Amino acid sequence: MRSWLRPWLILPLMLGLFSATQVWLSYLRYDLSLETQALSAEKQTALKEISKLRIEIASLTRPERLRQLARTKLDMAPPNPMQVIHQ
Amino acid sequence: MSQKQDVFIRRRIEALAGLLALGLIVLAVRAVDLQWMQAEKLTDLAEKQRYRQYTALAPRGSITDSKGRRLAESVEIPSLAAIADEVPENRIKVLAKALGVSQKKLQRKLNKRTGFVWLARQVTPAKADAVMALNIPGIRKEMEWRRYHPLGPETGHLLGFVGVDGQGLEGVERTWNKRLTGEAGIRQVRRDARGHSLPGGIWLRDPVPGQSIQLTLDSTIQSIAYAALADGVAKQQAIGGSVVVMRPKDGAILAMVSWPGYNPNNFRHYKPGEWRNRAITDVFEPGSTLKPFTIAAALASGRWQADTKVFCENGAMRVADYIIHDDHKEGWLDVTGILVKSSNIGVAKLALDIGADPLYDMLSKAGFGHRSHTGLSGESPGIILPSRRWGPVETANIAFGQGVAVTPLQLATAFSVLANGGLFIPPYLFMDQKQSATSAFVRVMPEQISNQVMSMLEYATSTDGTGSKAVPTGYRIAGKTGTAQKPNPKGGYSRGKYNAVFAGVAPADDPQLVIVVVVDEPKKSHYGGQVAAPIFRHIAESTLPYLGISTHMEDDTAWRTMPVAHQAPVLQAKNLYGMSMREVRGFAAQRGLRLHVHGSGWVTRQTPLNSISLKQGDELEVWLND
Repeated sequence: MRSWLRPWLILPLMLGLFSATQVWLSYLRYDLSLETQALSAEKQTALKEISKLRIEIASLTRPERLRQLARTKLDMAPPNPMQVIHQ
Repeated sequence: MSQKQDVFIRRRIEALAGLLALGLIVLAVRAVDLQWMQAEKLTDLAEKQRYRQYTALAPRGSITDSKGRRLAESVEIPSLAAIADEVPENRIKVLAKALGVSQKKLQRKLNKRTGFVWLARQVTPAKADAVMALNIPGIRKEMEWRRYHPLGPETGHLLGFVGVDGQGLEGVERTWNKRLTGEAGIRQVRRDARGHSLPGGIWLRDPVPGQSIQLTLDSTIQSIAYAALADGVAKQQAIGGSVVVMRPKDGAILAMVSWPGYNPNNFRHYKPGEWRNRAITDVFEPGSTLKPFTIAAALASGRWQADTKVFCENGAMRVADYIIHDDHKEGWLDVTGILVKSSNIGVAKLALDIGADPLYDMLSKAGFGHRSHTGLSGESPGIILPSRRWGPVETANIAFGQGVAVTPLQLATAFSVLANGGLFIPPYLFMDQKQSATSAFVRVMPEQISNQVMSMLEYATSTDGTGSKAVPTGYRIAGKTGTAQKPNPKGGYSRGKYNAVFAGVAPADDPQLVIVVVVDEPKKSHYGGQVAAPIFRHIAESTLPYLGISTHMEDDTAWRTMPVAHQAPVLQAKNLYGMSMREVRGFAAQRGLRLHVHGSGWVTRQTPLNSISLKQGDELEVWLND
């Protein structure tokens, strides 16, 4: 085995190994970049969805709508002030 | 090899070497040309290919109420655009149909210019997808921010609206546009041959998102006030109105509504005149609601006491060449009686006695004639002439609220002075202003005087007073009605056109709310006590329990006679299918039926089938299923 191992071979081997590592790292960076972009896009989509949901919550819970639903669907009426007790 | 052949070979080698040398020289020249002469241009081209800049839009800040409920929020929605000269003629008909516009109109739009042209801005995602699915060359989808106000007309006048370009055009959106608007950022990224971004992008300009704003508003109280005002205006066939609800202790504005309302999400469908916030832009003569301040000035002068008697001239009194009238003829009244009976002559006499300056000082310190500095655009300072221009007629008129003009917000601020033991605290709408507003208080009158006036105002809402309809059961209210003829633009006063006003403090024994109601040109009655006071009661009786302010009942029989909630739809039902258990029980209880219930959820089967024919004591059996 030692017959082909020569000191001068160490340099090209190291260079080859370094180059291979660089190529592997660049692929890794590239993949990570794609992943980051996808996650970033996902985050933006989620933020936009949150905004939409906030509006939806605000629309669905707006007092005028709740008042109407309470009257028409639940047959409720506003309480008289003395029917409201605060502990 | 002969010498001739040697020469031939050498010549060939020389020729080849010459050609190679020439080639090398050409390459060197080209290299110099590319690397040196064209270096800058080519570097630019390469960078343009390699680098890409994109704009990251910053959303507009949201607006929330005091409890963090969303009042305005921006969402990204699609707009449709085209590169006009790239759209094929034969696809215009299909495109027009998908956009929902006429072919002629679309054609005109596309022919106007050759480059970028908007086709439809801020459309629904479904519509944008439908147009993009047609795959028409030159058509593109752009994303834009759109502002939504979930409470719609209820907050329309106060919050205003935002144009398609993201600029606040009215109300809070306009006043605080700079703070709400974000600043778009620019990011530069390197791309690979396939167009994917590589790591190591840099921000050429950081995006600055718009800041959120929290208001002192309470959306529940805002909604209550809006509904009460709408109901009151409809009942009186008035042309409009406004309400301001304030917390006197710190000047926080809890509600500010105007009628008729407009929907800020669809503002183009309304006339610009309908966009205005009447509570700060419209001025009106406050009428009798100004009398408490005349009386406070008289008491503060030390020349008058609450029980001092004043002769009210039996309904008519001449001041210079002008005759002042009372609605009801009054003889001798004490100062409290003047306020309770709302005698113009009584307060005119007090004002003429103390003079113009003390009255002007009182009104000015209470906030009349000045903008409130809430930050809202379009606010009117009102009209109050300097006291040096007041003659006896002006002094007498201003004493009972004529010849001055105020905004509903000013009137609410002034009544807060009475509720605060004589301290003026400027109103504020933005949570950030809280500290500055509460630290900027000014004493307008001694506490003892404000307490006396508050007691008089409580009498004014008793059964003998003009404001009795403002009192919700279980609470003590201090308030004053006002009825003022509207000025005629040509001079003098308009006949039959009035503003009905009620300004009050609730509860009188522990002031938590100041409510001012102004109804513009009511038709059925024009008296503040008939028109504005019931709206005040409606707001107070819903808002006080909501704020956790309990009633004080000496006689508690009233709650025992609470009317049964509305149940007409149940009684008219022919069958019970789809009803809830609660509804079925209500139906059976009202008709005296013996009910047997199986399961839970909604009625899917019943015996007998016809519920209407059932009489008291009959048996009804229902099966419910989720």
